Amino acid sequence: MFKKILIANRGEIALRIIRACRELGIKTVAIHSEVDAKSLHVRAADERVCVGPAEDALSYRNIPNVLSAAEITGAEAIHPGYGFLSENAHFAEVCESIGVKFIGPTSENIAVMGDKAKAREILGRRGLPVLPGSPGELQNEAQALEAARKIGFPVIIKASAGGGGRGMRVVNKEEDLARAFQAAQAEAKSTFGNDGVYLERYFLEPRHIEVQVLADERGRVVFLGERDCSVQRRYQKLVEETPSPAVDERLRREMGRVAVEAVKAVHYRNAGTIEFLLDKDQNFYFMEVNARIQVEHPVTEMITGIDLIKEQIRIARGLPLAYRQQDIRLTGHSFECRINAECPEKFTPCPGLVTRYHPPGGFGVRVDSAMESNCTVVPHYDSLIAKLITHGRNREESMARMRRALDEFVIEGIKTTIPLHRRIFNDAEFQKGRVSTSFLERFLANHSQGNS
Amino acid sequence: MSQPALNGMSDDRNREIQDLIDLLKRNNLAEIEVEHGGFRIRLRREAVSLQLPSPTWEPMAPGLESSAEPQAGSPSGDASPGMVTVRSPIVGTFYRSPAPDADPYVEEGDQVKKGQVLCIVEAMKLMNEIEAEVDGRIVKILAESTKPVEYAQPLFLIDPTPAS
Repeated sequence: MFKKILIANRGEIALRIIRACRELGIKTVAIHSEVDAKSLHVRAADERVCVGPAEDALSYRNIPNVLSAAEITGAEAIHPGYGFLSENAHFAEVCESIGVKFIGPTSENIAVMGDKAKAREILGRRGLPVLPGSPGELQNEAQALEAARKIGFPVIIKASAGGGGRGMRVVNKEEDLARAFQAAQAEAKSTFGNDGVYLERYFLEPRHIEVQVLADERGRVVFLGERDCSVQRRYQKLVEETPSPAVDERLRREMGRVAVEAVKAVHYRNAGTIEFLLDKDQNFYFMEVNARIQVEHPVTEMITGIDLIKEQIRIARGLPLAYRQQDIRLTGHSFECRINAECPEKFTPCPGLVTRYHPPGGFGVRVDSAMESNCTVVPHYDSLIAKLITHGRNREESMARMRRALDEFVIEGIKTTIPLHRRIFNDAEFQKGRVSTSFLERFLANHSQGNS
Repeated sequence: MSQPALNGMSDDRNREIQDLIDLLKRNNLAEIEVEHGGFRIRLRREAVSLQLPSPTWEPMAPGLESSAEPQAGSPSGDASPGMVTVRSPIVGTFYRSPAPDADPYVEEGDQVKKGQVLCIVEAMKLMNEIEAEVDGRIVKILAESTKPVEYAQPLFLIDPTPAS
């Protein structure tokens, strides 16, 4: 096993990885920016290296400094967490070239999956269900129009290099297409430095369902059920659950089969997530592969009993998966609420001093967070400050547990999304599991009407 | 650890105590007590710092903020006002001389010119020369040659006031 791992991240995910390393008897090196010098992930690690100032481009995403930190501390491997350098193919490649193991997919995997249009093309050729759309990148408006006519409106134009909802344009009718195409190209160019765009059919009320996979270095692949991430605001997930109320055993097996095939088609390694859209008629379509550990990985851990971070480390070390598909059992139901330092009505970030922090506890409750009383939420990074996860024998118990845990959660000094989560878990439609990706928008509109 | 003063004792006893101190250090003991011939001595070390990682996370002291205070241009340690701290701009390994057998670029007390090379920070096999940002005198060298340095770690203290 590795003797020492550097964690190229901060906050809850850095702490999550340090905890896994401790259980495996691996020494840890934390990196941090100047503003994070006293944060919990830094104090929890065995060693720490300051890699730059507050701006993440100069610290957490500063490749030379991160690699130097690994070099001077003698770390054999780097876990990138999510965000920052986790899906940077160049970083993974440099790690490979200097003999530091990158805990994640290969640089080639990341490059292929980072190019959404190319990934679609490869999997489409394999006969896997991709969203009806343009065969690859669109060169001009005429191509866009031809593709859109073939698919039928509404369509969505997406940036090849995009993600997280950026660089997307929904087009409802033919006469709006030319303008939207130009705007999407310009936005893609300015946001991602690459003006490649493609086009897909746009579904009005789909569910966002994703399948977790693990692939070892010998090419054995298992899938660990699905996650339903339909409760989103502007493509930012807020609540995740597994199993999905919309997926039955037959559909689960079918989505799992497709996910495993997709992974094998590109010789994918380590943990990954295959994202699908599920329409009202239970048709599912491949959207993209997330080549990293995801924020919402704990819900899968709760129902499978498999520690995904430890599996990532073992796989990176070259160890084979210790189980087969038939050994995977899904037990009970799990929810995750993302607690963000945000105003719950307007979603504006709310950094500041946390005067009191008291996480909930008890049976079936898990909190992944690097918060503590008297800590400061700095404005430089992601607003996610805690993940509240529950597990119950069934959806009802897990939901009741979440309501109970949300009421126990004390975070004073800053505003958080906890009040919003309380309202979501008391919503009748949500309780019945009848949600699509447009649920939250409608929910928020209704609530602001009800308040005025 | 400084040597305790052992005035008024015989050389033999002195040597005996010195042996005990060495024993204490060598075995990283916290305390040792010896009694013989009507003489009793107990030696104790204040803190046994083994450079081991702390087994538990220190809880945050009330009122202490978790984010680092912005460093207002002064280095950690004994900086006098008006001094300029040269900090490492990158993570790497600190070298005071261009080659293992070469003389150091600068010594404490040296006058340096703005733009003069003070040291090397090596990162990823690349030698990065760190230059003085001001004219002045090297008051203190704050890092040890061949040891790793992190971002913004103080390397030199320069007194920029002109030599009189």
